[in-house]
Amino acid sequence: MSSKPDIVDALTLEDIDRDGALLEGIANVYGSSRAEFLRGAAFAGTAVLAGLALPSEASASPKQDVGILQFDLVFEYLQSTFYTQAVRDRTVARMKPEKQRWAQVLGAHELAHVAILKGVLGKKATKKPFFNFHGVTESESAFTRTAVAMEDLTVALLAGQAPRFSNVALTSAVFSLLTTEARHAAWARRLSGTRPVAAAFDEPKTLKEVGRVVQSTRFIAARPRTGRRGKPRYTG
Amino acid sequence: MRHGQLDRSSFLGRALVASGAVTLGGLAAARERGAAAAPSREQDVRILNFLLRLEYAQMALYDAAVSAGALRGELREFAQVCGHHETKHVEALRAIVGDKAEAKPTFRFGEAVRSPGRFTAAALTLEETASAAYIGQAANLTKERLPDVARIVAVDARHAAWIRAIAGRNPAPRAADPAKTVQQVMRTLARTGFVEQT
Repeated sequence: MSSKPDIVDALTLEDIDRDGALLEGIANVYGSSRAEFLRGAAFAGTAVLAGLALPSEASASPKQDVGILQFDLVFEYLQSTFYTQAVRDRTVARMKPEKQRWAQVLGAHELAHVAILKGVLGKKATKKPFFNFHGVTESESAFTRTAVAMEDLTVALLAGQAPRFSNVALTSAVFSLLTTEARHAAWARRLSGTRPVAAAFDEPKTLKEVGRVVQSTRFIAARPRTGRRGKPRYTG
Repeated sequence: MRHGQLDRSSFLGRALVASGAVTLGGLAAARERGAAAAPSREQDVRILNFLLRLEYAQMALYDAAVSAGALRGELREFAQVCGHHETKHVEALRAIVGDKAEAKPTFRFGEAVRSPGRFTAAALTLEETASAAYIGQAANLTKERLPDVARIVAVDARHAAWIRAIAGRNPAPRAADPAKTVQQVMRTLARTGFVEQT
């Protein structure tokens, strides 16, 4: 940074989504008539920032912070692709209205998280991997079960990582994401007929533990896979 | 200065702009840091006592509502389950703070424990306030205390989502949850009238 900024004010959604990529992404998946609404839902309450005084000691960008954010980004790619794939498979359209709303709001939030993390990481943002959900997004029950597991896993991931940042601005920001993912998890559990809160504490998981779970799903594919009809089955 | 003047190519510049846009936990935290000292054990005690007060309020609300016996169905289950969790949160925070832990204030909930509608509104306010209070204080705590609060705040956020769902409201209204300052939280708590003057 060339000079030390003191205050950042009036930061709006347009600043994060300057090229409209998020709006376009949402429109592609949910249709343009819903795009503005869902983008609004994704960013409600986050649009305006007035007078952020930068903590002066946050002058380093340690490798560990970057590494954690890169891991989180891959996880958000996974989640957002999972929800948007279920929309493309028409699985969401076949669900009850309340559940449709749930899947759409979560999908929009995860797209927003991707946009936020990409914005934070800039050139250090990891590229979106290829995904293969092995048909899970095609059946409502498999989709719902997996969504519950994935949201609970995200909570454990962020509960483990939020405390580890050197940059305190990142600590605060990731706590905001942690509580959002906890809401997603509670909502998903309730819709699937499970108690929204399993225990008095959300126990953290290490990156290694989360990585192992993700690996066991085989959702992240090494390369695009071609399906029976010659149509690619991956999304990305 | 305007954010546009930030050097956007630097990681820190992006981190501050984007993380700022997320919530602004950073905002509340940074403002309070103006007055508060850098994280220290003494400051941890003050912050954890502040959070403990919110956990006491939630625990007391649920216990009183379950005892009053006016809740039915899922709302009753919610109060029972959350009451149990808040008791655990109180115990955890008291254990960390030790001798300096503040005692439980006296609460008076009135209609909030007798009318299911009032109870729902009270629970929603307290859970949302607690969740935002933790986010607001994350940056002010020492690093060693952060894991403790992370595993608690996630549960309070689940409670908030649950009561919102019961109330027919969107359980996750934002992609990133807002932070609240100590002042904002104390104002909200005072407005409820639940805490008796001590």
